[in-house]
Amino acid sequence: MFLKDLVANCGFNVVSGENLEVEIKDGYVGDLLSDVMGNAPDESIWLTVQSHVNILAVASITGIKAILLCNGLSYEEETIERAKENGIILLSTEKSSFRACVDLFKAGLR
Amino acid sequence: MSEDRVDELLQKLQKYFSHITAAEIMNQNVITLTPERTLWQAKELMKIRKISGIPVVNDKKQLIGIVSIEDIIVALEKGCIKDSIEEHMTKKVVSFSPAESLDSIISKFERYHFGRFPVIDESGKILGVISKKDIIRTILERFRLIYVHDERRSQILEKEAEWFDRSLITGDYVKKSDADFTFRIDYTDVDLAGAGAAKLKAFLNKKELDERLVRRVAIATYEAEVNVVIHSESEGCIYCWVEKDCIKVRVEDHGKGIENVEQAMKEGYSTATDHIRELGFGAGMGLPNMRRYSDKMVVMSEVGKGVVVEMIFCERGRT
Repeated sequence: MFLKDLVANCGFNVVSGENLEVEIKDGYVGDLLSDVMGNAPDESIWLTVQSHVNILAVASITGIKAILLCNGLSYEEETIERAKENGIILLSTEKSSFRACVDLFKAGLR
Repeated sequence: MSEDRVDELLQKLQKYFSHITAAEIMNQNVITLTPERTLWQAKELMKIRKISGIPVVNDKKQLIGIVSIEDIIVALEKGCIKDSIEEHMTKKVVSFSPAESLDSIISKFERYHFGRFPVIDESGKILGVISKKDIIRTILERFRLIYVHDERRSQILEKEAEWFDRSLITGDYVKKSDADFTFRIDYTDVDLAGAGAAKLKAFLNKKELDERLVRRVAIATYEAEVNVVIHSESEGCIYCWVEKDCIKVRVEDHGKGIENVEQAMKEGYSTATDHIRELGFGAGMGLPNMRRYSDKMVVMSEVGKGVVVEMIFCERGRT
């Protein structure tokens, strides 16, 4: 699935990231960094409530392409800046991680 | 290795690996005999295959007895080696169920002093056999972990200066100035946790190494780096050597140290503060992740003397 289609179908906000022509093959939900580190597949979208800058290290090391911040939370300024440097796409949504998963599933990511 | 040493080693390993079951340990390549065969045939088979006992099964592969080297000796003395196995085999066989835990398996080895035990399902069908060698092989294969403790650990700890200079895996002196990659860890800024591992990943990616291998190195190094930042309260350093057949990573600090390494190796155990946990750290999966993603890993630590983690990563092929 291309990220631009997922974003369009699910109505997520794009916080940072120019090019959404990125292929997403899988997803992971988690707020404990080591859990995500150990288990998230690469080329995936990561749903979380963590917004501080460390999420970018986790994403770039595991090969996560996009982060979706749930529950209407907002990213810290530094996170947004650093995401540009790392080429990680930042998204956000008012929905909970669970509801966002349901939408991603309906949009065809499975 | 003498029998006593094997027992001692098994006892030490037992407590770390007690959740392994008989089904995971057993050798499924079982040599069996049917009861109408002769003791002579059993003896020949033992000689060729270098084994000390053979399970006896009926036509449904159900275990009905076992013939051991002792039975053969007795038969030779009595001159009845040409008799059928059925007449002389041991009919009361001690066996394991597939779900039996390592604790229970080892206690049966101690109690009965047999060299091998069959594993049978509910219908009595034989699934495999377990010897002490199978237990050790399973543990080594599955966990790919060398954990230095007891005598070796105390020897190195006595010369505490040495474990900062020597490889924990090979014992050789480590030339840190020869490292292909070096990164100083800034423990004062939690935001920077992971920066070293990310740099290492970029560095390794330029070397045209297997992507999966690089990913494993980066993940395990990240965990070691985060530990320095959130736990050590001291400066630390990441060293990496890219060798022909493997990648070596060493992460060290001179900080607080780990009070109980065994406990720290358990998933879910963490000493992180609430503030650190809120940031998503302190899941208690740092050391377990390092173990999972490396092929060999050794941790050395003592309270107040810092931590040294050494890991080796080999290309595993397409997995």
